[in-house]
Amino acid sequence: MSDVARTTEVAAADSPAIVKPKRRVRASKPMIDRYRWFEILGLYAGLLVFLFFVLSPFIEGFMVSLKPLAQLFSTPYSFIPKRASFDAYFQMWQSVPMLGLYIFNSFFISTVVTLIVIAVVVPAAYAFARFQFAGAGLMLGAFLAVNMFSGAVLLIPLFRLMRSMGLLNTYWAMIVPGAAFLIPSSIWLLRTYLIRIPKELDEAAWVDGASRLYTLRRVILPLAMPGIVVVAIMTFIGAYAQQFIFALTFNSKSEFMPLPIGLFAFFGKQEVVWNELMAASFVGVLPVMIVIVFLQRYLVAGLTAGAVKQ
Amino acid sequence: MSQLSLKNLQKSFNEAHIIKGINLEVSEGEFVVFVGPSGCGKSTLLRMIAGLEDVSSGEIVIGGNKVNDLPPVQRGIAMVFQSYALYPHMTVFENIAFPLRVERLPQAEVEQRVNAAAKVLQLESRLQQRPGTLSGGQRQRVAIGRAIVRQPKIFLFDEPLSNLDAALRSEMRIELMELHKRLGSTMIYVTHDQVEAMTMADKIVVLDAGTISQVGSPLELYHRPDNLFVAGFIGSPKMNFISGTVIGSDGSTINVDLGALGTIALPRTTKIGAGQQVTLGIRPEHLRLGKGEFSLSVTPKIVEHLGIHTVTYSTLPAGENFVGLYEGDPKVNESEAHDVGFALSQAHLFDQAGLAIY
Repeated sequence: MSDVARTTEVAAADSPAIVKPKRRVRASKPMIDRYRWFEILGLYAGLLVFLFFVLSPFIEGFMVSLKPLAQLFSTPYSFIPKRASFDAYFQMWQSVPMLGLYIFNSFFISTVVTLIVIAVVVPAAYAFARFQFAGAGLMLGAFLAVNMFSGAVLLIPLFRLMRSMGLLNTYWAMIVPGAAFLIPSSIWLLRTYLIRIPKELDEAAWVDGASRLYTLRRVILPLAMPGIVVVAIMTFIGAYAQQFIFALTFNSKSEFMPLPIGLFAFFGKQEVVWNELMAASFVGVLPVMIVIVFLQRYLVAGLTAGAVKQ
Repeated sequence: MSQLSLKNLQKSFNEAHIIKGINLEVSEGEFVVFVGPSGCGKSTLLRMIAGLEDVSSGEIVIGGNKVNDLPPVQRGIAMVFQSYALYPHMTVFENIAFPLRVERLPQAEVEQRVNAAAKVLQLESRLQQRPGTLSGGQRQRVAIGRAIVRQPKIFLFDEPLSNLDAALRSEMRIELMELHKRLGSTMIYVTHDQVEAMTMADKIVVLDAGTISQVGSPLELYHRPDNLFVAGFIGSPKMNFISGTVIGSDGSTINVDLGALGTIALPRTTKIGAGQQVTLGIRPEHLRLGKGEFSLSVTPKIVEHLGIHTVTYSTLPAGENFVGLYEGDPKVNESEAHDVGFALSQAHLFDQAGLAIY
């Protein structure tokens, strides 16, 4: 009997509850996050314009890669391909047989640069974040100054250096300057991250008998992982982007060419195979995309929550 | 024999002289509390004992060995930090096991010791959680667990309860005292909270600007403060101070002129010259409503009714603040003058240098 009474009670309590949540959801949004319909419309319109501005080269590039070459020079120009096909994506491997190697080279050079940078930057950033030593401020300032020079300004001295060290026309010709220019900014980036990890964690580990290296390995590195991943992504992208200038100057062997230089192979004497060029570019960017998607999973924010009460 | 002794311990950071010569003996099993206002050097002193700060001069001796240059782990101490300093990426089990992992103990022993510690601290059901999912009190217990697995001779606590809310703080206070009883090890505890000091300590060390102001049991400090600083620091509400001038002393009493409040004759065997400035101290809780051996009339500006107590705040003719604490809910009203009195035996007297006169 009482069961029946309870069910009706529950039902009675339920029925207004069905209406209520709808109201509550709207009301639960904080005042600062509430917008009127036209404001939301404006926001999305702005977003659309911005995204189009940023992405239009990629959209056009992709469209070009889908068109047959003849259609590219037709007037009036049609933005949307009339007979879209992925032929260029298959054709390009025949037109430039070494394309696969170029893509591999790009990927390989960037990967090695990233590994070197991480291996150097992690201990350096830890030292700058935790130890007080003579010249620390001066060195950090110098790192910043190095960042103000672009690689292009230093090409000629670098060329002489590479030549005297016998590194020209090797992978190292692209890896060494690539890593060298990316290390300073990475140290700054990671140092800032490490400073935010409470010093008490080091002290607690020290009191418990851990050495500095043990603490670095077991406590600091796991906590710094999001920061290290950011540095790795920045370095990888940076290395991918700056290859062009170093590869152009310090390497003339086609088997070591990275993709940006390799793409010149699509520039024929008579004509440029634009559609295949675009297709090759997109395929070449793919590895970077995959790496970023893969690394992004480690960008877990708030990993330090619960370390100390702030 | 004392387990820890500090001999003329000093510490300077560049020009700043933080610790100005500390001498202290701590015997085995004692619960010692370092208390003092912020900036008095109590945390620095604890960190020096821990081995986190180096010693500028003087000696730290633990168990008969000078440990000035030994790393913390070889001193036989364990420390609990104010911020807990837990490793957020490790489970509670691994957090507690950390010191044992550093020592590379076999897994079976690690498990046995961690489980024993978890049992003492009632953390058994939390062992596989991350610190981030725990409440403040539980985090604090994990931090203590990490300290007890190493079975140190001396525990050091750096304001361990200051991050907890008031209710939890008094709960953890009891837990810590129980832990001290069960383990029987020496504990050194730093706090700025004199209530914590009074309730927990076997021995309180009151620090003031890098020197020891007084060392003693809680009740010694309460009843016989050596100086104005300790008298004002221990006890809540703070002791009332009234300045006066000595009229004369004969080896059994000292007569003090308190200005508009009249004169008071305190039983003291010390002789002190007439005309000296002195300070009379009387604790708010030693005041009684109505006339006493010495009486004065006050007009409360504010009256706080706490049910168990009533606290009045008034100003004396010379401008000093005067607080009264009375049991229960007596009839005292704001802006209405009333008489208060106290027993002469409960009054304190301090000389010009702030030292107690007995």
